Amino acid sequence: MSIELGHFALILAFAIATISTIGGYLFWRTGLRIAMVLSQGAILQFILVAVAFGALIQAFVVSDFSLALAVNHSHSLKPLLFKISGVWGNHEGSMVLWILILVAFGAMVAAFGRRLPHDLLALVLATQSLLTAAFAGFTLFTSNPFERVFQPPLEGNDLNPVLQDIGLAIHPPLLYAGYVGFSICFSFAVAALISGRIDQAWARWVRPWTMLSWTFLTLGIAMGSYWAYYELGWGGWWFWDPVENASFMPWLAGTALLHSALVMEKRNALKIWTIFLSIITFSLSLLGTFLVRSGILTSVHTFASDPTRGLVILTLLALVIGGAFFLFALRASSLRQGGLFAPVSREGALILNNLFLATAVGAVLVGTLYPLLLDALTGTSISVGAPFFNLTFGALMAPLLLVLPFGPLLAWKRADVVNAAQRLMAAAGLAIFVTILVSALGGVALSLAPLGLLLGFWVAFGAVAELVDRSKLGRIPLGESRRRLVGLPRTAWSTAIGHFGVGVTVLGIVSTTAWETELVTRLNPGETAVLAGYTIAFDSFEQVPGPNYISDQGHFTITAPNGRTRQTMADRRTYVASGMPTTEAAIETYGFSQLYLQLGEPLEDTHVVRVWHKPYITLIWLGAVLMSLAGLLSLTDRKLRIGVPQKARKPVAEPAQ
Amino acid sequence: MPCTHAPARTCGNASAPITRVLLVFEHDALIQDLFLPRAGTERLGPMLFWFVATAVTVIACAALYYAAGPRMVNQSTPLSGDPNSHFRLLLDGIESDRASGKLGEAEAVAAKAELAREILRAKADQDGARTASASLGRKPLAIGLLAVAFLALGLYALLGSPNLPAQPLADRPELAAANLDLGSAVARIEAALAANPDDLQGWSVIAPAYVELGRLEDAIRAYRRVLELGEPTAAVQTSLAEVLLLQANGAGSPEAMDLLEAAAQSDPNHVLSRLYLASELTRQERYPEAVDAWNAAIALSTGEELWLSAAQEGLRVAQSGGTAEAEAQQAQMIAQMVSGLAERLAQSGGSIEEWAQLVRAYLVLGDEEKAQAAYDDAVRAFPQAFDRGDLDTIALGAGLKLNGATP
Repeated sequence: MSIELGHFALILAFAIATISTIGGYLFWRTGLRIAMVLSQGAILQFILVAVAFGALIQAFVVSDFSLALAVNHSHSLKPLLFKISGVWGNHEGSMVLWILILVAFGAMVAAFGRRLPHDLLALVLATQSLLTAAFAGFTLFTSNPFERVFQPPLEGNDLNPVLQDIGLAIHPPLLYAGYVGFSICFSFAVAALISGRIDQAWARWVRPWTMLSWTFLTLGIAMGSYWAYYELGWGGWWFWDPVENASFMPWLAGTALLHSALVMEKRNALKIWTIFLSIITFSLSLLGTFLVRSGILTSVHTFASDPTRGLVILTLLALVIGGAFFLFALRASSLRQGGLFAPVSREGALILNNLFLATAVGAVLVGTLYPLLLDALTGTSISVGAPFFNLTFGALMAPLLLVLPFGPLLAWKRADVVNAAQRLMAAAGLAIFVTILVSALGGVALSLAPLGLLLGFWVAFGAVAELVDRSKLGRIPLGESRRRLVGLPRTAWSTAIGHFGVGVTVLGIVSTTAWETELVTRLNPGETAVLAGYTIAFDSFEQVPGPNYISDQGHFTITAPNGRTRQTMADRRTYVASGMPTTEAAIETYGFSQLYLQLGEPLEDTHVVRVWHKPYITLIWLGAVLMSLAGLLSLTDRKLRIGVPQKARKPVAEPAQ
Repeated sequence: MPCTHAPARTCGNASAPITRVLLVFEHDALIQDLFLPRAGTERLGPMLFWFVATAVTVIACAALYYAAGPRMVNQSTPLSGDPNSHFRLLLDGIESDRASGKLGEAEAVAAKAELAREILRAKADQDGARTASASLGRKPLAIGLLAVAFLALGLYALLGSPNLPAQPLADRPELAAANLDLGSAVARIEAALAANPDDLQGWSVIAPAYVELGRLEDAIRAYRRVLELGEPTAAVQTSLAEVLLLQANGAGSPEAMDLLEAAAQSDPNHVLSRLYLASELTRQERYPEAVDAWNAAIALSTGEELWLSAAQEGLRVAQSGGTAEAEAQQAQMIAQMVSGLAERLAQSGGSIEEWAQLVRAYLVLGDEEKAQAAYDDAVRAFPQAFDRGDLDTIALGAGLKLNGATP
């Protein structure tokens, strides 16, 4: 009965969301009561969807094959973790996860938002309910995960082997938390447009949600990239795959939003732009959902799909985004422009940042959608590949990174760029020195790589420069400096760490792209190969049965340039139920660099072995982790902590009357 | 041996999937009574489900109703909604900027003035908003809650299956059958048959089990016994013929042919016997008769059977009289396709999969020189090794030059 109760819970949540939407939009002006009802409704939606999701998990765990979803995507021999993560390793189940995170965010607004003005709260929750109703309705009517089988088979069809990995347990929930989190910003934007309440206070309520979603999205994308890197067996960490782009565009737009909300909060400027970005960011999230589920694309991310679903999502997309932009067109002109500022100022720098990021979103959007549209309209299939993206995106990011360290050093409203440049001299000098040192040690090759390194070091050191500057390190006694450093607001630390993370990621990308080496060869057990100073000895080969697969394992001994040896194992798995093969590469980390070894297909009596040496590749993900940490740190800042009332500060000045 | 033209079962070895035996067990009340534990699955009626669902709905609606209740929750203007608290922070920011020298005195004064104007505007907005509001009445709330209840229960009645109980794998009787050791089950039936050798049902159950276990001699004996004890049916005759053919291992069996013919004659609608007959005739190169037999089988199909395509393939082979004509046609077609692909790739490029296809095609056709040339072109088009994936493997396997040198 638990499956049917789960089904009912989802339907009840849909009913509550539908009525909340109607009630919310009709009665938002009436104040406290409707806000309280909608808050309760948001919390109930969360509980009910959680129950539905729990029912699905339970059915997967006990291998209840009277559930069609379990038949199609589970197998009784699967390890427990993959039985659970298999719930969202498919279209229907992942929709429920999507909705669960959506209502979780809604419930969080309800729980922490009691201090928001009632009309705004009611409108935000009504919009959030609208999204829940739309997606729950889509799920229930076109892709119901609770469909039953009257004559349950004895065994399920198993989950796609590529997805049978710890990555599936982490990557989609994080990514969805990021995607869906931006729905809160969207709802706030819609609420602001309807109520006309757009001020600095609004920006202050929105920014924590932006920060939270952005942090999740950063982690989700980084995790997805690392998963693709180790699981797909080619050692690529970013493919400019349309679905990757679909997650990257909200990230870029979200990054822009993060910065423009800052301007709005501090200076009451960029209001219209911030609202616009809030809508755009979530629209891009929805676009990603559409691309994955409509059947337009085929990649590891796409689910078996049918065109009617695509059409329904496209309609939903058009209604939600179109509605929001219609509202925007109606109201934007009536919004009052806020504070003025000189071109050279913190605001100016943030606008520059927004311009570059928005253009980058545009470039990625064109590169992603143009081939799809061309295919749909004329039937010609072209492929816009990595060269296009590397060139356009790289060309846009280089100037952005170049001016990035200036931003935090500029004052609000009007700033002195010469002064900021002087304060960055040390960072620039250090970056040049380190780059030359690295190039000299590594042997200079005439390429763009040293320039890329220079950019990476410049961003990283520039980020630290602000902390050094504000703590007056070296200019006052060390103890005093340390005290100042600790006393800096957490947002200052967060800015520095986040920007430092960007530099670290750039360094990882540049070095691994420029200095990666690869070797494809055939080896017999007992033979050795050499790559980048590492000696790889193929020790033995054996077949080992796994829980639901058979594994061909190659055992290797890797001797590093410093003479140390390590044992490692790369295998190819053939899954019993589907007969599909996967490769599990052997990845050995040396410092920040990695040796990536993949056992290829058996050939007569030898084996194809591919080996890559990827210098400093882990920096790519370490940088992303640093960025997310910065996001979390910023959330703990007292001023931004969600819903916690402001404590009275020490009076610095008389309050304005 | 034209094994591909025969229905699947003759081609399989003795260890065919276990599901066949399960089917036998499932449909045989005797065996189920003997060996399967009757599962005590709780069958909660739909009544209980509707009771729980209604209770959940009532609780949810009550929670919503009381949320609107006349409690004093934050009746005052919320703190962060109060413009003062937010503007006070901004004022602090201006002061600290001034103190740290980021803002000049005059600029600080101007910023404060701007802030003051902002506060006045916010206050005016708020006062305006306050007058517009009227409280949410009980009536719309009650209507809304009723709508929630009707929408939820009605929609579930439309979409749900309240009659269907949960069926976790561990509680299902078939599972017990799957876990039942086939050997020991057979031993128990054998013991029962030793005591009662005329038990028709026992023999008919044990015969397919013997086939599964690969005990073909015993299976033949069991099927013969079934034919002796009861009326010979087309199904049993075909089963016996199937085992005889399996045992002959592709060499054919006159007895099997007789049985199949008898089965086909006794039951004008029996498909399986005709399929076996046709494939045997094809194997024996008796093509005219085979064509008739295939046609007879195909005539019995409704057009959706899984064996239909195999039968049509068999008919084609029988019609072409086993000559190599068809294969020659095929080879010509392949050559045409390959040259077409090569031309297209050379002119307008293509995906790595297409390049791999081309290299593989040349290798299959035995043209190593062209394969190497195609591989080199592919490497020029896809210089990154991880883009090439399978292509390198194919090339490596065929001994083509890789990384500019022979491996």
